[in-house]
Amino acid sequence: MGVVGKNIPHDSAVGHVTGESIYIDDILPARNELIVDFYWSPVSLGRIRSIDLASATATPGVVGLYTWKDLHANIFGPILIDELLLAEERVTFMGQPIVVIAAESRAAIKAAKQAIKIDIEELKPIFTIDDAIANNQYIGQERVIQRGDLAAGFTEAAHTLEGVWINKGQDHFYLESQAAIAWPGEYDSLTVHSSTQNPSEVQHVIAHLLGLQLNQVVCVTKRMGGAFGGKECQATHPAAMAALVALKTGRPARIVYNKDDDMQVTGKRHPFQNHYKVGFTAEGRITALDVRLYSDGGAYADLSTAVMGRAMTHVDNAYYIPNIRIRGQVCRTNTPPNTAFRGFGGPQGVVTIENMMEEIAQITGRDPVDVRMLNCYGTSERNVTPYGQILENNNLPRLFDELLQRSDYRNRREAVAAFNAESETHLKGISLTAVKFGISFNTKFLNQANALVNIYLDGTIQVSTGATEMGQGVNTKIRQLVADEFGIEPDKVMVMITSTEKNNNTSATAASSAADLNGSAAVDACRKIKARLADCAAAHLPTLDNDTESSPGSIVFEDGWIYDSRRPSLRVTFAALVHEAYLRRISLGERGFYATPGIDYDAATGSGHPFLYFTQGCSASEVLIDRFTGELKVLRSDVLMDIGRPINPGIDRGQMTGAFIQGMGWVTTEDLRYSDTGALLSHSPTTYKIPNIQDVPAIFNVDYLDVDNPINLRGSKATGEPPLLMALSVWTAVKNALSFVSNGEIPKLRLPATHEEIVMRLAEYEVAREAGVPTTSA
Amino acid sequence: MAGSIFFYVNGKAVTASGQDAFETVANFLRYRLSATGTKLVCEEGDCGACSVLIGRLNAAGGIEYQAVNSCIQFVYQIAGTHIITVEGLRRGKDLHPVQEAMVKCHGAQCGFCTPGFVVTMSGMYETEGEMTEKRVRDALTGNLCRCTGYEPIIKAAMSIDPAAVGTLNDLYPPAEIVKALTDYRSKSIRVESGGRTFFAPTTVDEALRFKAENPSTVIVQGATDLGVMRNKRGYEPPFVMNLSRVAELGELTVRDNDLHVGATVTLSRLEPIMRERVPEFFEILVLFGAPQIKNAGTLAGNVANASPIADTLPFLYVMGARVELTSTAGSRLVDISSFYLGYKKLDLHPDEIITKIIIPLPRSGSDEILKLYKVSKRKNLDISTMTAAFRMQLSGSVMDRVTIALGGVAPTIVRLRKTEEFLTGRQMDRETLRQAGRIARDEISPISDVRGSAEFRSQLTENIFSKFYFETRHQTREEARA
Repeated sequence: MGVVGKNIPHDSAVGHVTGESIYIDDILPARNELIVDFYWSPVSLGRIRSIDLASATATPGVVGLYTWKDLHANIFGPILIDELLLAEERVTFMGQPIVVIAAESRAAIKAAKQAIKIDIEELKPIFTIDDAIANNQYIGQERVIQRGDLAAGFTEAAHTLEGVWINKGQDHFYLESQAAIAWPGEYDSLTVHSSTQNPSEVQHVIAHLLGLQLNQVVCVTKRMGGAFGGKECQATHPAAMAALVALKTGRPARIVYNKDDDMQVTGKRHPFQNHYKVGFTAEGRITALDVRLYSDGGAYADLSTAVMGRAMTHVDNAYYIPNIRIRGQVCRTNTPPNTAFRGFGGPQGVVTIENMMEEIAQITGRDPVDVRMLNCYGTSERNVTPYGQILENNNLPRLFDELLQRSDYRNRREAVAAFNAESETHLKGISLTAVKFGISFNTKFLNQANALVNIYLDGTIQVSTGATEMGQGVNTKIRQLVADEFGIEPDKVMVMITSTEKNNNTSATAASSAADLNGSAAVDACRKIKARLADCAAAHLPTLDNDTESSPGSIVFEDGWIYDSRRPSLRVTFAALVHEAYLRRISLGERGFYATPGIDYDAATGSGHPFLYFTQGCSASEVLIDRFTGELKVLRSDVLMDIGRPINPGIDRGQMTGAFIQGMGWVTTEDLRYSDTGALLSHSPTTYKIPNIQDVPAIFNVDYLDVDNPINLRGSKATGEPPLLMALSVWTAVKNALSFVSNGEIPKLRLPATHEEIVMRLAEYEVAREAGVPTTSA
Repeated sequence: MAGSIFFYVNGKAVTASGQDAFETVANFLRYRLSATGTKLVCEEGDCGACSVLIGRLNAAGGIEYQAVNSCIQFVYQIAGTHIITVEGLRRGKDLHPVQEAMVKCHGAQCGFCTPGFVVTMSGMYETEGEMTEKRVRDALTGNLCRCTGYEPIIKAAMSIDPAAVGTLNDLYPPAEIVKALTDYRSKSIRVESGGRTFFAPTTVDEALRFKAENPSTVIVQGATDLGVMRNKRGYEPPFVMNLSRVAELGELTVRDNDLHVGATVTLSRLEPIMRERVPEFFEILVLFGAPQIKNAGTLAGNVANASPIADTLPFLYVMGARVELTSTAGSRLVDISSFYLGYKKLDLHPDEIITKIIIPLPRSGSDEILKLYKVSKRKNLDISTMTAAFRMQLSGSVMDRVTIALGGVAPTIVRLRKTEEFLTGRQMDRETLRQAGRIARDEISPISDVRGSAEFRSQLTENIFSKFYFETRHQTREEARA
């Protein structure tokens, strides 16, 4: 029996529950270690008139103060090169680092911060997308995806609906804040321990900023205490600051953000403002959609253009739209650069059309789920995306059908209506939404990975890849894949610390694809070794019994034994075969490589085949709202997905429950609030409310179909991001609830649907009702 | 033992002296003892990653364990206790049943919140009784997880056979620890270091003398507010005093239908009696905060902190609670509504300390209505956007002796005198309460802040009267007949 597909515990689970797992700040301080912190801009936009470090330099315990002038280079960026590590003449967001401080103690850091004197002339900042548009402040160029004939589509339509839809950002709220330790080595080399999803980028940026060769910098990542995209690019800054100090002072340097600083200085999920015009038939079939997406990129590009790319390729979501134009433009504002966050623009694209589905249903007087199913992509026709990729193995129609049954949606929808007709104190809402999430990096060259597999003489194995472990279980999946290749127990395989020394030029652990890419590379390495071991076995087995013939093609690796399929009783243990191979001078190590086949996408023309496959799903949620306090309770959620054949069902299930609740937070209680000057007011869990254990729906059914995904590793599908979008059904359920009291109007519900948003909407309807304002319809 | 703090960590005796005595427990564990299993995230008691179990000696000669947030506990506060951290739950090589279940059920992903969950869950089994999902959720309200969606953690907890867990007193037989701590706990402690003084008296007189001699002394009892002020604002007052050793300040008794709550009574100690006598307030206590906070924080502390959104205050206002203030010159009683002179300003003399709160309890069998509300962005473990308390007498459906207090809509808790007057003598019906809401709106002066806009708070104030109506109309005789 193979171990792929089995529900084994996470490979760090025992360390986690005993407190033995080591995170950056758990590494014991090295002798002579310095503490690193930074002085950041207290204003959102300004011109630096002067920096006076004299009294800070004289502060006892302060070892070094560094500005951009101390860097070899100061400008970098993952896609567009526009970001400064340390501000030069201008500061462009509150929280922007200006001076790096190195000191012997935290007390000295605090004293130094108070002693630094920076004179800044404040300028008028831009905080909103409207402001950015008015001032022509953009990042990158507008992109377009277009198909069909918009004008004809609108002519065909029985109804046309226009709207602007706004969603706010979301903080990652990983529990381990950004952190890094840099150790100086010989000949200006550096070893940097970083809580990063992207060790190679940390290596590259540090070498670039400090004027080192890439081979002088090693970046090491054991694990992260959560990341969710927040450590794809923005772990680089603290690592670079620690590296700067280590290189300048020759002493180990540690930087660990506290939670408040972390939330104030790092970027978030992108807020979007989406303008749409949709045409549809009397039944609700969409004939034309013209949608323009604007995102708030913050002060620097970071990954914003790629996030916009994913938003644009996900606006269609589960629905076939014959005539469509999708335009996308990133806006530049004076907030910390917004960045990757689980879903990477996908949620902001998908929720736009899911919102429209509710509105179309209201106008056509149909059940929203019928409108969705009417528009759903087909399995053999109506199955081409706006960018031209054919949707293969489409399980969406089946997911709709099965979830309708499993959730008893139809009956419950009637019950909701009955409840709302009765209750004077509460409102209920129910909604069923779908998701189709493309898997692969939109940027083609990122879809590659390498792996190193070493077998030791006792038959145990070490595997190293570029994947980083942030709790998602990629290392456990790789452990299972490798053990399965050799037919041995998973505890004989250890997945080692991620290091650029072992795996070079790696891509970020992102886009849900780390297991696909790195797992495939590991399997490639295993198969190369396996071929040599099969040769060895075919030569070795006959020496144990003269009557036996054996050939490499018949060698079986199973349950820790190696034998020829024609004579299973004559067998050697895996360890014995390994030892034999060693004696025969056969290499017991290998490097594997994988490049995702068949993908290609041209952002300039908005066409191609960007995704290897799509992870899909449907979810239904029912909510209860207190009409007076806006208190929102998710009574029940049903989630059903096509995640192929999971490599580890327990781990994938954990991704589904975790992502759902995280998405639920985004659409309900997670409320980023800023002061008039751009200061983030909700910068700790006291004021920024992620879901807690009481918010988990009382009934929470999470399941997946039994289906194969022949195009990917062992029939599996990526599960990291897609289930986050399943939580959109919570938000549409709130919208559905409001539609019962909105006097026939389409509820203009913003995201997140906080208690304040709900109470204020309800109050508007109440006022309108009492004033006898005639109900309007679109 | 003068000049130092003595306690146990995972069965081993520890002495902390000098500045270490003034450190937070979490920092001391991580950076002095290198016990890095205890994690730091928010440093304000809102995430539970730093949870440890604090074992306090009880009258029966045993040790009782409760989860607290070690990031907002000071080392001087844990004098004479036994702290169990995540590292201390294993029995040799064997995992604790909670650890075992969390491994099997995928209760850990990134692992950063996991020690806190494991510790809190282990503490959950110290109290007997059936393990329901509700109990699990209530016990873990103070622990945030960003990876799992909690469902696997709930499953892990539900998969454990409570009978097989064993108590922490089995894991750490208390005899030796109790013996070592009993004598220590009967003596006062004084630690001076770096210009700061900590004092733990054993009698009220000692406490009052210290306060009189050092009027700037801050009482640090639960530290659930002061710990946050230290971590976030560097607030480190020169004189701090902890009253845990003063037995009489732990009083919790009912006399003449008045509940006397001593200065050191924690909110979790208050829960059982409130569940029995004032279920409406018990519900507020459930929402009040994490178990970790309630196991440390006191009612007196909530009163002394004087926050306009303190969750207990509207209740204390409508019940007419009194605060007992004591100095070497004697005691005086102050009505709670005149105790607050302005935003965070108290009628408290520099030589006085709060020694108890006296709460008149509702009389059973009366036509009295008491309704309490706490509105927040997230239902559990969130600071209120607005709080409200309604108390009145119903004669038939006529309202009398109406008292209404609101929090979060002005610099202090406010009584709505005009609205009260309007309602008094009127029939309880929908329109009347709706009108009352509108009057109330004009009586308040809310501000916009991170928890909500001024308009929202005004709207909530108006709405809460309708909510009150719908929740209490069945208590009017007309409604009962209908």
